[in-house]
Amino acid sequence: MTIAMTGRISLEQAKSVVEFLELGQQDEANAIIAEIQNPINSELFAEIGKLTRQLHDSLTNFQLDSRLSDLATSDIPDAKERLNFVITRTEEAANKTMDAVEAIFPVVNTMAEQVAAVNPSWTKLMNNELDLTEFKSLCLNIDTLLKNTGKETQHIHSLMTDVLMAQDFQDLTGQVIRKVIDLVIEVEESLITMLTAFGISAEPVQEKVLPKVGKNLVEGPIINKENRDDVVADQDDVDDLLSSLGF
Amino acid sequence: MKVLVVDDFSTMRRIVKNLLRDLGFTNIQEADDGSTALPMLQGGDFDFVVTDWNMPGMQGIDLLKAIRADASLSHIPVLLITAEAKKEQIVMAAQAGVNGYIVKPFTAATLKTKIEKIFERLA
Repeated sequence: MTIAMTGRISLEQAKSVVEFLELGQQDEANAIIAEIQNPINSELFAEIGKLTRQLHDSLTNFQLDSRLSDLATSDIPDAKERLNFVITRTEEAANKTMDAVEAIFPVVNTMAEQVAAVNPSWTKLMNNELDLTEFKSLCLNIDTLLKNTGKETQHIHSLMTDVLMAQDFQDLTGQVIRKVIDLVIEVEESLITMLTAFGISAEPVQEKVLPKVGKNLVEGPIINKENRDDVVADQDDVDDLLSSLGF
Repeated sequence: MKVLVVDDFSTMRRIVKNLLRDLGFTNIQEADDGSTALPMLQGGDFDFVVTDWNMPGMQGIDLLKAIRADASLSHIPVLLITAEAKKEQIVMAAQAGVNGYIVKPFTAATLKTKIEKIFERLA
């Protein structure tokens, strides 16, 4: 449809009107008249139409990002549960391991005591200094030691198997954490897409941004010690720093 | 000797307790943060405090300051065992009057050395 900018009828338009009327196309004829009467409006309408389409497209594209709302309402709560699972499993593993170790300590101590009890008489025996009564008592002590050691080594073996099995958390928590890392990557990408859509640069900020610290500068374990010069690398660094302060 | 072990993670308290027991400390009690620890210290005749820094509620550094500010407790040696590794924090702890500072992860040998040093100095 041609748009007349002048507001006056042209010969061409008049001819078209006559043509449409002759063919019985009343609507088309009316449209030309309307166009002549309101040239600016029709341009405005076209422009509004274009904007409406753009808005519609943007909204549709935005809805494509309904993934974002899934992330917020389902995936992230799910990730919290997964991370809580990691805390629970690692705590269980630590406790299982310590249960076994704490059960081993007294067993080993008893064995050490029994060895210590036998030792002086044994040394005497080796030096041919042991009399018969002492020898009898040594035999009884050695008998206890052997019976006890035989029984307790089995016990220790089974406790050490418990320690071994408690390490299965690594596999499970590793898988769970990997999933959470994937989610974090996806959220990062969605946020970058959104920033780009709003025309904000998603380029990484050049200056070093230090993690937020809480009260008393509390930050928790430092995971990138090599890249930081405000933290100590190990216990030796701590000791050096303290001794430089006169400790 | 009566020892108070303060950490919000029960597993870490258990590790420290086991290590202390190995070093000959048998009378050990536990608290899960500074605000639980402080009334225990005020109520009992503790001789030594081993504390974490980062805990919900009252943090270890604030517990240390509270101990030093309380005339009846100020003599108690305090050992910090913490993941906090900023130089500024170590200086802060030293100024607050800490007796030893161990960064996590740590070894049984480190704990032994630091504790021996603390009691050597106090002797």
